[in-house]
Amino acid sequence: MTIQIKDLTIYYQDLDHALLALDRLDLALHPGKITALVGESGSGKTTLGKAVMGLLPKNARAEGSISLGRTQIMGLDEPGMNQVRWSQIAMVFQNGAASLNPVHNLADQVAEPLVQKGIGRTKAMAAARDLLARMGIDAEQAARYPHELSGGQIQRGLLAMSLILDPQVLILDEPTAALDAMTKVFITRVIQDLRRAGKTILLITHDLDLARNLADDIAVLYLGRIMEHLPGTDLVDRPCHPYTLALVRAFPFMDGMRELGGIRGDAFFRMVHAHAQEDGRTHAHVHVAAPDAVHQGGHAPPQGCLFQPRCTQAVLDCSFGDIDVTACGTHQVRCIRGGIARILSFEKVAKSFGKVKALAPTDLTLMAGEVFCLVGETGSGKSTLAAIAAGAVIPDQGRRIFQDRDMDTWMKTDFASLAPKIGMIYQNPAESVSHRLTVFDIVAEPLHIQQQEGDPEKIRARVLAALADVRLSTAPEFLKRYPHELNMGAVQRVCIARALVHAPDLLIADEPTSALDPSVQAKVLKMLLSLQIEKGLTMLFVTHDIGLARKVADRIGVMANGTIMETGAAARIVNHPEQACTKMLINSARGQDTRSPGIHP
Amino acid sequence: MHLDMGGQIGKDPWFITGISILLLLGFLAVAGPFLVPYDPYDISFSPLDPPSADHWLGTNDGGMDILSELVFSLRNTVIFGITAGTAGLVLGVITGLFSAWAGGWADQVVMRLADVVLALPSVMVLILLAAFFQPSPVVLALALACLAWPTTARGVRAQALTLKNSLHIKAAQRMGGSGRYIIARHLMPELFPLYLINFAAKTRMAVFMEASLAFLGLFDPGEKSLGLMINYALQYYYLDIWYNWLMPPILLLSLLIMGATFVTVSLEKIFDPRLRKTV
Repeated sequence: MTIQIKDLTIYYQDLDHALLALDRLDLALHPGKITALVGESGSGKTTLGKAVMGLLPKNARAEGSISLGRTQIMGLDEPGMNQVRWSQIAMVFQNGAASLNPVHNLADQVAEPLVQKGIGRTKAMAAARDLLARMGIDAEQAARYPHELSGGQIQRGLLAMSLILDPQVLILDEPTAALDAMTKVFITRVIQDLRRAGKTILLITHDLDLARNLADDIAVLYLGRIMEHLPGTDLVDRPCHPYTLALVRAFPFMDGMRELGGIRGDAFFRMVHAHAQEDGRTHAHVHVAAPDAVHQGGHAPPQGCLFQPRCTQAVLDCSFGDIDVTACGTHQVRCIRGGIARILSFEKVAKSFGKVKALAPTDLTLMAGEVFCLVGETGSGKSTLAAIAAGAVIPDQGRRIFQDRDMDTWMKTDFASLAPKIGMIYQNPAESVSHRLTVFDIVAEPLHIQQQEGDPEKIRARVLAALADVRLSTAPEFLKRYPHELNMGAVQRVCIARALVHAPDLLIADEPTSALDPSVQAKVLKMLLSLQIEKGLTMLFVTHDIGLARKVADRIGVMANGTIMETGAAARIVNHPEQACTKMLINSARGQDTRSPGIHP
Repeated sequence: MHLDMGGQIGKDPWFITGISILLLLGFLAVAGPFLVPYDPYDISFSPLDPPSADHWLGTNDGGMDILSELVFSLRNTVIFGITAGTAGLVLGVITGLFSAWAGGWADQVVMRLADVVLALPSVMVLILLAAFFQPSPVVLALALACLAWPTTARGVRAQALTLKNSLHIKAAQRMGGSGRYIIARHLMPELFPLYLINFAAKTRMAVFMEASLAFLGLFDPGEKSLGLMINYALQYYYLDIWYNWLMPPILLLSLLIMGATFVTVSLEKIFDPRLRKTV
């Protein structure tokens, strides 16, 4: 049976304040389909499950509608709900061991609903044992008490309990949390069987791996609103909303290559004032303590996009109005920019130096908030491409579009406003800074050039903040040091601070760590990646080392002879390379002898 | 290649010797007029006296005190040298930087002009200038500067071209730095050693040139200058005046040129590491 959720809003009331848990949520669950609900803790996933079960706590206030088939089940009285609950809609709760009765054995508890329905005890026990056996729990184990069972056995027991009345709708709240991988696979198989049996399944989970393996479609929930609704298969490769991308990046997928990255900032609570109105309904508006405390004290923005304070591509318009859902391919995204925006795109960009064709006509798109790695052997045109992206080299042909503006015109008319939006880190840190400048002067140079700040105190504050960002000392003695007095790693950090001091949107790093030894490289990269997350930077990372690239990149582009041969998610490129040059790069990186088409010994 | 200039220079005997000579002569030139016993233009003494307690170096043919004359001549020669050196340096640096930064046809024009000027024999040009226009020493110094800038311009241009392609300047350009900013903030200060070397070299050349012109009698005979003194003294070489009239200006001139040479060599050695082993 289909479950239709329409315009569902739920508050948890607390004296004069209320916590907005779900906000005008629309979702349809279909028979034979698994819908996964993913999102950070506090996004309202479990509240939705409980609302469908009619098990909301007393202080919850719900508006909107939930219908099961043609029956409206929201607002049903308790006897009416009892008809539906467990027999038609069942739920497996999170932290299930707590919902078992410690003084009854497992089989007893599984059989109990049947007994309640008036089926004879012997028959009920037989059915329970049968069902438990299908869950991989034999009669001997079924006769045990909850404290004698393992977590995996309990989880399977709970699943059996929810299935004993053969409900058509199943809500699974974190069915695999705290389970080992083997048990997880077993549970996954059980859930797949249930889907084949035509059950309507709502899977509530943190586990993106489970969601992408099981779910037909996925709803990404943030602060009670669905940010993106997408087919399960697209979760890892083609997320459209910045929040989905951030969630994916934070999840330890087995085939994930990149270092884990969190989502910048913290989730908020949506506190609202609830005013009773004459018609008895509540009128809610977002409570803000003080104008400048909008993003502090746990308050979400009062209007505009909820994710805006943490987003990597927020623009001014994101702070206003109510953001509606738009289509992004087959996905539905709640984003004013129509999903993850393109920050830079190349259309047939080419460059030659004299007779040398450095770059054949190339198309390239960088999405906001991603780390894109260009990999290839020396002379493959990587650095040329990076220099063109940075605006340091003018291409012979083609169009460059940066933040929806034509970059060439922008450069000609107003380079001063474009320059601070792109930061650059160079291969050789010692050469990319003037030996006559102190650490302070080096980091302050972009600010001096841009002259955005006239106040020396403000410049100083920004320089110190940038140095603190790259984990360098901000002591006055250190600021007076010259680059030749520092080690390479520290100089490269200074360079990174210089690139970040005017808060760029795009950071271009051309072999930023190749002059560093591996241990320093590891430290600098870790720092760079955490900065990338914190600042929401888009990064174009150029390296010849595919082993390094897979640790850094969300996407990899493999270059050879001035052409991008192959682009794709880092894991895909490394695990399933399609092009010969990619395979060769990977094999060479593994130390296997390969013949390069570019180098003839 | 950040150099510990103070430390390296302080240890170089060439530099110490050279700068000591220059400082001593500089002190004489600046403070001399207050130290000397007589007005050098005073002709009231008996001419061609040998050294005595009253006139340590004796008097010349016009009855002037040679010691006083010597100090004033030194002063004029140093002023001439510094004027020509400074003007030549400024001209050379401006043209060199402009040429390097502008590039293209502007660079070509400036550099071909430099070639033309270099091809002119400066002594001949100056002799002609001095003979026809009888200019004041300052004008002559400026004229010399106009002939001497190309070598500086070439050096500055070459260095600036190298620097222009260095990564930190490219970085500054990419940050949006204008040409003016990069020249003022990066190129000019970076080339500072080059200025020192060129200034010392040009000054040395100017001092020598001034002495030559004066020796050839192309200077206002009423002026005081080391070259003029040698010129006059040589007219009386058959008298026994070589040690008190002829030698002192020659000695001072040699010391001045030696000091400047030592400093130039030492600076070149320090700022150009490739020269360190060979010199």
